[in-house]
Amino acid sequence: MLFVSGGARLLGGLLLAAWLPLAAWAQGGVQPVPALTAHIMDGTGTLSAAQREALEAKLTAFEQSRGAQVVMLLVPTTQPEDIAAYAQRVGDSWKIGRKGVGDGLLLVVAKNDRKVRIETTKALEGAIPDLAARQVIDTAITPRFKQGDFAGGLDAAADQLIALISGENLPAPEHSGSRSNNDGFEWTDLAVFLFFAVPIAGRIAAMVLGRKFGSLATGGVVGVLAWIFTSSLIVAGLAVLVGTVFALVASIGALGGSRSSGGWTSGGLGSGSGGWSSGSGGSSSDSGGFSSGGGGDFGGGGASGDW
Amino acid sequence: MTISRFLTFTLAALLGLLLSGCGYNDFQRLDEQTKSAWSEVLNQYQRRADLVPNIVATVKGEAAFEQDTLTKVVEARAKATSIQVTPETLNNPAAFSKFQAAQGELGSALSRLMVVSERYPDLKANQGFRDLRVQLEGTENRITVARNRYIQTVQEYNVLTRSFPNNLTAMVFGYQVKPNFSVQNEAQISTPPVVDFNKK
Repeated sequence: MLFVSGGARLLGGLLLAAWLPLAAWAQGGVQPVPALTAHIMDGTGTLSAAQREALEAKLTAFEQSRGAQVVMLLVPTTQPEDIAAYAQRVGDSWKIGRKGVGDGLLLVVAKNDRKVRIETTKALEGAIPDLAARQVIDTAITPRFKQGDFAGGLDAAADQLIALISGENLPAPEHSGSRSNNDGFEWTDLAVFLFFAVPIAGRIAAMVLGRKFGSLATGGVVGVLAWIFTSSLIVAGLAVLVGTVFALVASIGALGGSRSSGGWTSGGLGSGSGGWSSGSGGSSSDSGGFSSGGGGDFGGGGASGDW
Repeated sequence: MTISRFLTFTLAALLGLLLSGCGYNDFQRLDEQTKSAWSEVLNQYQRRADLVPNIVATVKGEAAFEQDTLTKVVEARAKATSIQVTPETLNNPAAFSKFQAAQGELGSALSRLMVVSERYPDLKANQGFRDLRVQLEGTENRITVARNRYIQTVQEYNVLTRSFPNNLTAMVFGYQVKPNFSVQNEAQISTPPVVDFNKK
Protein backbone atom coordinates (compact mmCIF):
# COMPACT_ATOMS: atom_id res chain seq x y z
CA MET A 1 0.00 0.00 0.00
CA LEU A 2 2.73 2.40 0.97
CA PHE A 3 4.74 1.50 -2.07
CA VAL A 4 1.78 1.89 -4.41
CA SER A 5 0.97 5.39 -3.24
CA GLY A 6 4.63 6.37 -3.47
CA GLY A 7 4.70 5.03 -6.99
CA ALA A 8 1.62 6.99 -7.91
CA ARG A 9 3.22 10.16 -6.60
CA LEU A 10 6.33 9.49 -8.62
CA LEU A 11 4.29 8.82 -11.73
CA GLY A 12 2.30 12.01 -11.16
CA GLY A 13 5.52 13.95 -10.81
CA LEU A 14 6.89 12.47 -14.01
CA LEU A 15 3.70 13.27 -15.91
CA LEU A 16 3.77 16.83 -14.62
CA ALA A 17 7.41 17.22 -15.59
CA ALA A 18 6.68 15.94 -19.07
CA TRP A 19 3.64 18.18 -19.43
CA LEU A 20 5.14 21.49 -18.32
CA PRO A 21 7.50 22.10 -21.26
CA LEU A 22 4.74 20.94 -23.58
CA ALA A 23 2.42 23.57 -22.14
CA ALA A 24 5.08 26.23 -22.58
CA TRP A 25 5.54 25.16 -26.16
CA ALA A 26 1.81 25.21 -26.82
CA GLN A 27 1.62 28.85 -25.77
CA GLY A 28 3.57 29.93 -28.83
CA GLY A 29 6.19 32.63 -28.75
CA VAL A 30 4.77 34.53 -25.77
CA GLN A 31 6.58 35.32 -22.53
CA PRO A 32 6.49 32.46 -20.02
CA VAL A 33 4.72 32.81 -16.68
CA PRO A 34 7.31 32.50 -13.88
CA ALA A 35 6.69 30.26 -10.88
CA LEU A 36 5.17 32.17 -7.97
CA THR A 37 7.51 32.16 -4.98
CA ALA A 38 7.15 35.54 -3.27
CA HIS A 39 5.05 38.71 -3.07
CA ILE A 40 7.76 40.55 -4.97
CA MET A 41 8.83 38.76 -8.13
CA ASP A 42 11.66 40.78 -9.62
CA GLY A 43 12.71 39.30 -12.94
CA THR A 44 14.67 42.39 -13.92
CA GLY A 45 17.07 42.85 -11.03
CA THR A 46 15.79 46.40 -10.55
CA LEU A 47 15.30 46.28 -6.79
CA SER A 48 18.15 45.86 -4.35
CA ALA A 49 17.92 43.01 -1.87
CA ALA A 50 17.07 45.42 0.96
CA GLN A 51 14.34 47.17 -1.05
CA ARG A 52 12.84 43.87 -2.07
CA GLU A 53 12.83 42.55 1.47
CA ALA A 54 11.22 45.71 2.84
CA LEU A 55 8.41 45.49 0.28
CA GLU A 56 8.06 41.77 0.82
CA ALA A 57 7.77 42.32 4.58
CA LYS A 58 5.11 44.98 4.06
CA LEU A 59 2.97 42.78 1.83
CA THR A 60 3.47 39.71 4.04
CA ALA A 61 2.37 41.68 7.10
CA PHE A 62 -0.67 42.91 5.20
CA GLU A 63 -1.57 39.40 4.13
CA GLN A 64 -1.28 38.18 7.70
CA SER A 65 -3.42 40.98 9.09
CA ARG A 66 -6.07 41.24 6.35
CA GLY A 67 -5.72 38.08 4.31
CA ALA A 68 -5.59 39.69 0.88
CA GLN A 69 -2.68 38.73 -1.35
CA VAL A 70 -0.88 41.45 -3.28
CA VAL A 71 1.82 40.33 -5.70
CA MET A 72 4.14 42.54 -7.74
CA LEU A 73 5.82 41.14 -10.83
CA LEU A 74 8.62 42.92 -12.66
CA VAL A 75 9.50 41.62 -16.11
CA PRO A 76 11.73 43.11 -18.81
CA THR A 77 9.02 42.93 -21.45
CA THR A 78 5.65 41.38 -22.23
CA GLN A 79 6.13 41.42 -26.03
CA PRO A 80 4.60 40.23 -28.26
CA GLU A 81 1.59 40.45 -25.96
CA ASP A 82 -0.14 43.53 -24.68
CA ILE A 83 0.55 44.05 -20.95
CA ALA A 84 -3.15 43.48 -20.18
CA ALA A 85 -3.14 40.13 -21.96
CA TYR A 86 0.07 39.06 -20.24
CA ALA A 87 -1.17 40.13 -16.79
CA GLN A 88 -4.41 38.28 -17.41
CA ARG A 89 -2.51 35.12 -18.31
CA VAL A 90 -0.28 35.40 -15.23
CA GLY A 91 -3.34 36.00 -13.04
CA ASP A 92 -5.15 33.01 -14.51
CA SER A 93 -2.20 30.77 -13.82
CA TRP A 94 -1.32 32.07 -10.32
CA LYS A 95 -4.88 32.57 -9.07
CA ILE A 96 -3.71 34.89 -6.30
CA GLY A 97 -6.23 35.30 -3.51
CA ARG A 98 -7.68 33.25 -0.72
CA LYS A 99 -9.77 30.22 -1.53
CA GLY A 100 -13.43 31.08 -1.24
CA VAL A 101 -12.68 34.81 -1.00
CA GLY A 102 -10.54 35.39 -4.07
CA ASP A 103 -9.00 38.64 -2.85
CA GLY A 104 -5.89 38.92 -4.95
CA LEU A 105 -4.16 41.76 -6.73
CA LEU A 106 -1.43 41.64 -9.32
CA LEU A 107 0.82 44.54 -10.28
CA VAL A 108 2.87 43.95 -13.41
CA VAL A 109 5.73 46.21 -14.49
CA ALA A 110 7.15 45.74 -17.97
CA LYS A 111 10.34 47.71 -17.54
CA ASN A 112 11.61 47.94 -21.10
CA ASP A 113 8.13 48.55 -22.49
CA ARG A 114 7.71 51.30 -19.88
CA LYS A 115 4.27 49.98 -19.06
CA VAL A 116 2.61 49.10 -15.80
CA ARG A 117 -0.68 47.39 -15.02
CA ILE A 118 -2.74 46.77 -11.91
CA GLU A 119 -4.91 43.70 -12.32
CA THR A 120 -7.66 43.07 -9.79
CA THR A 121 -9.59 39.90 -9.10
CA LYS A 122 -13.36 40.03 -9.27
CA ALA A 123 -13.49 40.06 -5.46
CA LEU A 124 -11.49 43.30 -5.35
CA GLU A 125 -13.19 45.09 -8.25
CA GLY A 126 -15.38 46.81 -5.67
CA ALA A 127 -12.50 47.89 -3.45
CA ILE A 128 -10.36 48.99 -6.37
CA PRO A 129 -12.45 50.04 -9.35
CA ASP A 130 -10.62 50.67 -12.59
CA LEU A 131 -10.52 54.40 -11.90
CA ALA A 132 -8.94 53.90 -8.48
CA ALA A 133 -6.34 51.59 -10.03
CA ARG A 134 -5.62 54.21 -12.63
CA GLN A 135 -5.27 56.83 -9.91
CA VAL A 136 -2.74 54.69 -8.05
CA ILE A 137 -0.75 54.42 -11.25
CA ASP A 138 -1.00 58.15 -12.00
CA THR A 139 -0.21 59.41 -8.52
CA ALA A 140 2.07 56.80 -6.97
CA ILE A 141 3.82 54.95 -9.75
CA THR A 142 4.25 57.10 -12.86
CA PRO A 143 5.88 60.19 -11.26
CA ARG A 144 8.46 58.09 -9.40
CA PHE A 145 9.13 55.70 -12.26
CA LYS A 146 9.82 58.70 -14.50
CA GLN A 147 12.67 59.61 -12.16
CA GLY A 148 13.91 56.02 -12.14
CA ASP A 149 12.76 55.47 -8.53
CA PHE A 150 11.23 52.04 -9.01
CA ALA A 151 11.35 50.94 -5.37
CA GLY A 152 9.76 54.20 -4.23
CA GLY A 153 6.99 53.92 -6.82
CA LEU A 154 6.17 50.35 -5.87
CA ASP A 155 6.30 51.20 -2.17
CA ALA A 156 3.90 54.13 -2.58
CA ALA A 157 1.63 51.96 -4.74
CA ALA A 158 1.66 49.25 -2.07
CA ASP A 159 0.63 51.80 0.57
CA GLN A 160 -2.25 53.11 -1.54
CA LEU A 161 -3.44 49.65 -2.54
CA ILE A 162 -3.29 48.44 1.06
CA ALA A 163 -5.36 51.44 2.14
CA LEU A 164 -7.93 50.74 -0.59
CA ILE A 165 -8.21 47.04 0.20
CA SER A 166 -8.43 47.75 3.94
CA GLY A 167 -11.53 49.83 3.25
CA GLU A 168 -13.30 46.77 1.91
CA ASN A 169 -15.11 44.52 4.34
CA LEU A 170 -13.31 41.26 3.62
CA PRO A 171 -13.43 38.24 5.92
CA ALA A 172 -10.64 38.15 8.49
CA PRO A 173 -7.81 35.70 7.87
CA GLU A 174 -7.76 32.43 9.78
CA HIS A 175 -4.61 32.51 11.79
CA SER A 176 -4.21 28.86 12.67
CA GLY A 177 -3.79 26.44 9.86
CA SER A 178 -5.14 28.70 7.16
CA ARG A 179 -2.34 27.68 4.85
CA SER A 180 -2.83 23.95 5.30
CA ASN A 181 -6.54 24.28 4.62
CA ASN A 182 -5.91 26.04 1.35
CA ASP A 183 -6.19 22.82 -0.61
CA GLY A 184 -9.89 22.73 0.22
CA PHE A 185 -9.54 19.75 2.54
CA GLU A 186 -11.96 19.77 5.45
CA TRP A 187 -10.95 18.08 8.69
CA THR A 188 -14.50 17.85 9.95
CA ASP A 189 -15.51 15.99 6.78
CA LEU A 190 -12.78 13.48 7.42
CA ALA A 191 -13.81 13.05 11.06
CA VAL A 192 -17.42 12.38 10.02
CA PHE A 193 -16.25 10.01 7.30
CA LEU A 194 -14.11 8.05 9.74
CA PHE A 195 -16.90 7.99 12.30
CA PHE A 196 -19.03 6.06 9.83
CA ALA A 197 -16.48 4.26 7.71
CA VAL A 198 -14.19 2.89 10.41
CA PRO A 199 -16.81 0.98 12.40
CA ILE A 200 -18.30 -0.51 9.22
CA ALA A 201 -14.93 -1.40 7.72
CA GLY A 202 -13.82 -2.67 11.13
CA ARG A 203 -16.79 -5.00 11.43
CA ILE A 204 -16.35 -6.36 7.92
CA ALA A 205 -12.62 -6.84 8.44
CA ALA A 206 -13.29 -8.53 11.78
CA MET A 207 -15.72 -10.91 10.10
CA VAL A 208 -13.22 -11.78 7.35
CA LEU A 209 -9.92 -11.75 9.19
CA GLY A 210 -10.90 -12.20 12.79
CA ARG A 211 -11.02 -9.56 15.48
CA LYS A 212 -7.31 -8.91 16.04
CA PHE A 213 -6.10 -8.91 12.44
CA GLY A 214 -9.22 -7.18 11.20
CA SER A 215 -8.75 -4.30 13.65
CA LEU A 216 -5.08 -4.07 12.78
CA ALA A 217 -5.87 -3.97 9.06
CA THR A 218 -8.46 -1.24 9.55
CA GLY A 219 -6.02 0.74 11.66
CA GLY A 220 -3.40 0.34 8.95
CA VAL A 221 -5.73 1.62 6.25
CA VAL A 222 -6.66 4.64 8.37
CA GLY A 223 -2.97 5.30 8.95
CA VAL A 224 -2.15 5.19 5.24
CA LEU A 225 -5.06 7.53 4.49
CA ALA A 226 -3.84 9.93 7.13
CA TRP A 227 -0.33 9.76 5.73
CA ILE A 228 -1.55 10.49 2.20
CA PHE A 229 -3.67 13.44 3.28
CA THR A 230 -1.31 15.05 5.75
CA SER A 231 2.06 13.63 4.63
CA SER A 232 3.03 13.60 8.30
CA LEU A 233 4.27 10.34 9.80
CA ILE A 234 3.39 11.35 13.37
CA VAL A 235 -0.24 11.93 12.45
CA ALA A 236 -0.26 8.68 10.51
CA GLY A 237 1.10 6.73 13.49
CA LEU A 238 -1.47 8.32 15.75
CA ALA A 239 -4.19 7.47 13.23
CA VAL A 240 -3.08 3.81 13.12
CA LEU A 241 -3.40 3.63 16.89
CA VAL A 242 -6.78 5.37 17.01
CA GLY A 243 -8.08 3.39 14.05
CA THR A 244 -7.06 0.05 15.52
CA VAL A 245 -8.62 0.76 18.90
CA PHE A 246 -11.69 2.13 17.20
CA ALA A 247 -12.13 -0.91 14.99
CA LEU A 248 -11.40 -3.27 17.87
CA VAL A 249 -14.07 -1.66 20.04
CA ALA A 250 -16.47 -1.63 17.11
CA SER A 251 -15.95 -5.31 16.39
CA ILE A 252 -16.38 -6.19 20.08
CA GLY A 253 -19.59 -4.21 19.95
CA ALA A 254 -20.71 -6.10 16.86
CA LEU A 255 -19.93 -9.51 18.38
CA GLY A 256 -21.06 -8.63 21.87
CA GLY A 257 -24.42 -7.35 20.70
CA SER A 258 -26.29 -4.87 22.83
CA ARG A 259 -23.53 -2.99 24.68
CA SER A 260 -22.17 -1.55 21.43
CA SER A 261 -23.02 2.05 20.69
CA GLY A 262 -22.73 3.91 23.99
CA GLY A 263 -19.33 2.39 24.71
CA TRP A 264 -17.33 3.43 21.74
CA THR A 265 -18.91 6.50 20.24
CA SER A 266 -18.01 9.00 22.91
CA GLY A 267 -14.52 7.82 23.79
CA GLY A 268 -13.48 6.75 20.33
CA LEU A 269 -14.65 9.82 18.49
CA GLY A 270 -13.25 12.19 21.09
CA SER A 271 -9.75 10.81 20.88
CA GLY A 272 -10.01 10.52 17.12
CA SER A 273 -10.87 14.14 16.50
CA GLY A 274 -8.18 15.19 18.95
CA GLY A 275 -5.67 13.40 16.80
CA TRP A 276 -6.84 15.09 13.61
CA SER A 277 -6.89 18.60 14.89
CA SER A 278 -3.39 18.30 16.26
CA GLY A 279 -2.35 17.08 12.84
CA SER A 280 -3.79 20.16 11.23
CA GLY A 281 -1.84 22.36 13.61
CA GLY A 282 1.34 20.46 12.92
CA SER A 283 1.27 20.71 9.17
CA SER A 284 0.54 24.42 9.23
CA SER A 285 3.79 25.15 11.04
CA ASP A 286 5.78 25.15 7.79
CA SER A 287 4.10 28.29 6.41
CA GLY A 288 7.35 30.19 5.96
CA GLY A 289 7.26 30.52 2.18
CA PHE A 290 4.63 32.33 0.15
CA SER A 291 2.15 30.50 -1.98
CA SER A 292 -0.99 31.53 -3.77
CA GLY A 293 -4.31 30.90 -2.08
CA GLY A 294 -5.57 29.61 -5.43
CA GLY A 295 -8.95 31.34 -5.21
CA GLY A 296 -8.42 34.48 -7.25
CA ASP A 297 -10.47 34.92 -10.41
CA PHE A 298 -9.19 37.67 -12.70
CA GLY A 299 -11.96 38.98 -14.91
CA GLY A 300 -10.01 41.66 -16.75
CA GLY A 301 -10.53 44.46 -14.23
CA GLY A 302 -7.84 46.99 -13.41
CA ALA A 303 -5.99 49.67 -15.28
CA SER A 304 -2.84 50.15 -17.31
CA GLY A 305 -0.49 53.06 -17.58
CA ASP A 306 2.91 54.03 -18.86
CA TRP A 307 5.71 56.37 -17.93
CA MET B 1 -45.13 -9.04 -9.18
CA THR B 2 -41.82 -9.18 -7.47
CA ILE B 3 -40.10 -10.21 -10.65
CA SER B 4 -41.54 -7.31 -12.63
CA ARG B 5 -40.54 -4.92 -9.86
CA PHE B 6 -37.05 -6.35 -9.91
CA LEU B 7 -36.96 -5.94 -13.68
CA THR B 8 -38.05 -2.33 -13.47
CA PHE B 9 -35.39 -1.63 -10.93
CA THR B 10 -32.72 -3.29 -13.03
CA LEU B 11 -33.81 -1.42 -16.12
CA ALA B 12 -33.76 1.88 -14.28
CA ALA B 13 -30.29 1.15 -12.94
CA LEU B 14 -29.09 0.11 -16.39
CA LEU B 15 -30.55 3.22 -17.98
CA GLY B 16 -28.81 5.35 -15.39
CA LEU B 17 -25.53 3.62 -16.12
CA LEU B 18 -26.00 3.95 -19.87
CA LEU B 19 -26.85 7.64 -19.70
CA SER B 20 -23.87 8.50 -17.54
CA GLY B 21 -21.68 6.30 -19.71
CA CYS B 22 -22.74 8.15 -22.83
CA GLY B 23 -21.79 11.52 -21.42
CA TYR B 24 -25.36 12.63 -20.75
CA ASN B 25 -24.32 14.26 -17.48
CA ASP B 26 -21.33 15.86 -19.17
CA PHE B 27 -23.70 17.43 -21.67
CA GLN B 28 -25.78 18.88 -18.86
CA ARG B 29 -22.73 20.23 -17.05
CA LEU B 30 -21.13 21.81 -20.10
CA ASP B 31 -24.43 23.13 -21.38
CA GLU B 32 -24.92 25.00 -18.11
CA GLN B 33 -21.30 26.15 -18.19
CA THR B 34 -21.67 27.63 -21.66
CA LYS B 35 -24.85 29.37 -20.58
CA SER B 36 -23.19 31.00 -17.60
CA ALA B 37 -20.15 31.95 -19.65
CA TRP B 38 -22.51 33.47 -22.19
CA SER B 39 -24.32 35.42 -19.49
CA GLU B 40 -21.00 36.88 -18.42
CA VAL B 41 -20.33 37.96 -22.01
CA LEU B 42 -23.74 39.65 -22.19
CA ASN B 43 -23.15 41.24 -18.81
CA GLN B 44 -19.94 42.88 -19.99
CA TYR B 45 -21.43 43.98 -23.30
CA GLN B 46 -24.25 45.58 -21.32
CA ARG B 47 -21.67 47.35 -19.18
CA ARG B 48 -20.16 48.84 -22.31
CA ALA B 49 -23.54 49.85 -23.69
CA ASP B 50 -24.31 51.60 -20.38
CA LEU B 51 -21.08 53.53 -20.62
CA VAL B 52 -21.77 54.91 -24.10
CA PRO B 53 -24.36 57.60 -23.17
CA ASN B 54 -21.88 59.13 -20.70
CA ILE B 55 -19.13 59.14 -23.29
CA VAL B 56 -21.43 60.69 -25.89
CA ALA B 57 -22.60 63.36 -23.46
CA THR B 58 -19.02 64.29 -22.56
CA VAL B 59 -17.89 64.39 -26.17
CA LYS B 60 -20.87 66.53 -27.17
CA GLY B 61 -19.51 69.21 -24.86
CA GLU B 62 -16.69 69.58 -27.34
CA ALA B 63 -18.41 71.90 -29.82
CA ALA B 64 -16.34 71.19 -32.91
CA PHE B 65 -16.31 67.42 -32.55
CA GLU B 66 -16.75 65.34 -35.70
CA GLN B 67 -20.48 64.75 -35.79
CA ASP B 68 -20.15 61.81 -38.13
CA THR B 69 -18.10 59.74 -35.66
CA LEU B 70 -20.43 60.56 -32.83
CA THR B 71 -23.53 59.62 -34.78
CA LYS B 72 -22.02 56.30 -35.72
CA VAL B 73 -21.45 55.44 -32.06
CA VAL B 74 -25.00 56.37 -31.12
CA GLU B 75 -26.44 54.37 -34.01
CA ALA B 76 -24.26 51.35 -33.31
CA ARG B 77 -25.31 51.35 -29.66
CA ALA B 78 -28.97 51.58 -30.59
CA LYS B 79 -28.54 48.68 -32.98
CA ALA B 80 -26.61 46.53 -30.52
CA THR B 81 -29.06 47.03 -27.68
CA SER B 82 -32.09 46.51 -29.89
CA ILE B 83 -31.14 42.87 -30.53
CA GLN B 84 -33.00 40.62 -28.15
CA VAL B 85 -30.74 37.92 -26.78
CA THR B 86 -32.32 34.79 -25.41
CA PRO B 87 -30.72 31.51 -24.39
CA GLU B 88 -31.90 30.21 -27.77
CA THR B 89 -29.51 32.63 -29.44
CA LEU B 90 -26.77 30.22 -28.44
CA ASN B 91 -28.28 27.46 -30.54
CA ASN B 92 -29.02 29.69 -33.50
CA PRO B 93 -25.87 30.48 -35.53
CA ALA B 94 -27.60 33.15 -37.63
CA ALA B 95 -28.88 35.12 -34.63
CA PHE B 96 -25.53 34.66 -32.92
CA SER B 97 -23.57 36.11 -35.83
CA LYS B 98 -26.02 39.00 -36.09
CA PHE B 99 -25.52 39.80 -32.41
CA GLN B 100 -21.78 39.50 -32.79
CA ALA B 101 -21.77 41.80 -35.82
CA ALA B 102 -23.77 44.45 -33.96
CA GLN B 103 -21.44 44.36 -30.95
CA GLY B 104 -18.43 44.42 -33.24
CA GLU B 105 -19.80 47.53 -34.95
CA LEU B 106 -20.23 49.27 -31.62
CA GLY B 107 -16.70 48.27 -30.65
CA SER B 108 -15.14 49.70 -33.78
CA ALA B 109 -17.27 52.85 -33.64
CA LEU B 110 -16.08 53.42 -30.08
CA SER B 111 -12.44 52.84 -30.88
CA ARG B 112 -12.75 55.22 -33.82
CA LEU B 113 -14.20 57.79 -31.44
CA MET B 114 -11.27 57.34 -29.08
CA VAL B 115 -8.77 57.76 -31.91
CA VAL B 116 -10.50 60.90 -33.17
CA SER B 117 -10.64 62.36 -29.66
CA GLU B 118 -6.84 62.49 -29.67
CA ARG B 119 -7.12 65.49 -32.00
CA TYR B 120 -9.01 67.56 -29.44
CA PRO B 121 -6.66 68.81 -26.72
CA ASP B 122 -9.50 70.17 -24.58
CA LEU B 123 -11.22 66.82 -24.58
CA LYS B 124 -8.00 65.00 -23.76
CA ALA B 125 -7.48 67.30 -20.79
CA ASN B 126 -11.05 66.84 -19.56
CA GLN B 127 -10.88 64.77 -16.35
CA GLY B 128 -14.36 63.34 -16.88
CA PHE B 129 -13.46 62.15 -20.33
CA ARG B 130 -10.21 60.62 -19.11
CA ASP B 131 -12.09 58.70 -16.43
CA LEU B 132 -14.56 57.42 -18.99
CA ARG B 133 -11.65 56.32 -21.16
CA VAL B 134 -10.22 54.26 -18.30
CA GLN B 135 -13.61 52.71 -17.65
CA LEU B 136 -14.10 51.91 -21.30
CA GLU B 137 -10.68 50.32 -21.48
CA GLY B 138 -11.43 48.18 -18.40
CA THR B 139 -14.75 47.16 -19.89
CA GLU B 140 -13.17 46.17 -23.17
CA ASN B 141 -10.68 44.06 -21.22
CA ARG B 142 -13.49 42.38 -19.34
CA ILE B 143 -15.28 41.68 -22.61
CA THR B 144 -12.14 40.06 -23.96
CA VAL B 145 -11.79 37.85 -20.89
CA ALA B 146 -15.47 36.89 -20.90
CA ARG B 147 -15.35 36.09 -24.60
CA ASN B 148 -12.22 33.99 -24.13
CA ARG B 149 -13.88 31.98 -21.40
CA TYR B 150 -16.96 31.50 -23.51
CA ILE B 151 -14.80 30.32 -26.41
CA GLN B 152 -13.05 27.78 -24.20
CA THR B 153 -16.27 26.42 -22.73
CA VAL B 154 -17.92 26.12 -26.11
CA GLN B 155 -14.85 24.38 -27.46
CA GLU B 156 -15.11 21.81 -24.69
CA TYR B 157 -18.82 21.38 -25.34
CA ASN B 158 -18.36 21.04 -29.09
CA VAL B 159 -15.58 18.49 -28.73
CA LEU B 160 -17.87 16.45 -26.52
CA THR B 161 -20.73 16.75 -28.99
CA ARG B 162 -18.66 15.56 -31.92
CA SER B 163 -16.60 12.78 -30.39
CA PHE B 164 -17.68 9.15 -30.29
CA PRO B 165 -19.75 7.79 -28.55
CA ASN B 166 -21.16 11.03 -27.21
CA ASN B 167 -22.22 12.11 -30.70
CA LEU B 168 -24.84 9.35 -30.53
CA THR B 169 -26.16 10.78 -27.26
CA ALA B 170 -26.14 14.22 -28.82
CA MET B 171 -28.08 12.92 -31.79
CA VAL B 172 -30.69 11.22 -29.62
CA PHE B 173 -31.23 14.27 -27.40
CA GLY B 174 -30.81 16.83 -30.16
CA TYR B 175 -27.70 18.58 -28.81
CA GLN B 176 -26.01 20.61 -31.49
CA VAL B 177 -22.63 22.19 -31.87
CA LYS B 178 -22.78 25.72 -30.45
CA PRO B 179 -21.59 28.71 -32.45
CA ASN B 180 -18.39 30.40 -31.35
CA PHE B 181 -16.88 33.86 -31.69
CA SER B 182 -14.78 34.57 -34.72
CA VAL B 183 -12.75 37.49 -35.96
CA GLN B 184 -15.22 39.86 -37.56
CA ASN B 185 -13.02 41.92 -39.81
CA GLU B 186 -11.05 39.06 -41.30
CA ALA B 187 -10.58 40.79 -44.63
CA GLN B 188 -9.54 44.00 -42.95
CA ILE B 189 -6.87 42.26 -40.88
CA SER B 190 -5.43 40.28 -43.74
CA THR B 191 -4.82 43.38 -45.89
CA PRO B 192 -1.89 45.47 -44.67
CA PRO B 193 -2.83 48.99 -43.60
CA VAL B 194 -2.03 51.85 -45.94
CA VAL B 195 0.17 54.45 -44.32
CA ASP B 196 0.03 57.86 -45.87
CA PHE B 197 2.19 60.52 -44.26
CA ASN B 198 1.34 63.20 -46.82
CA LYS B 199 -2.25 63.57 -45.75
CA LYS B 200 -2.64 65.99 -42.96
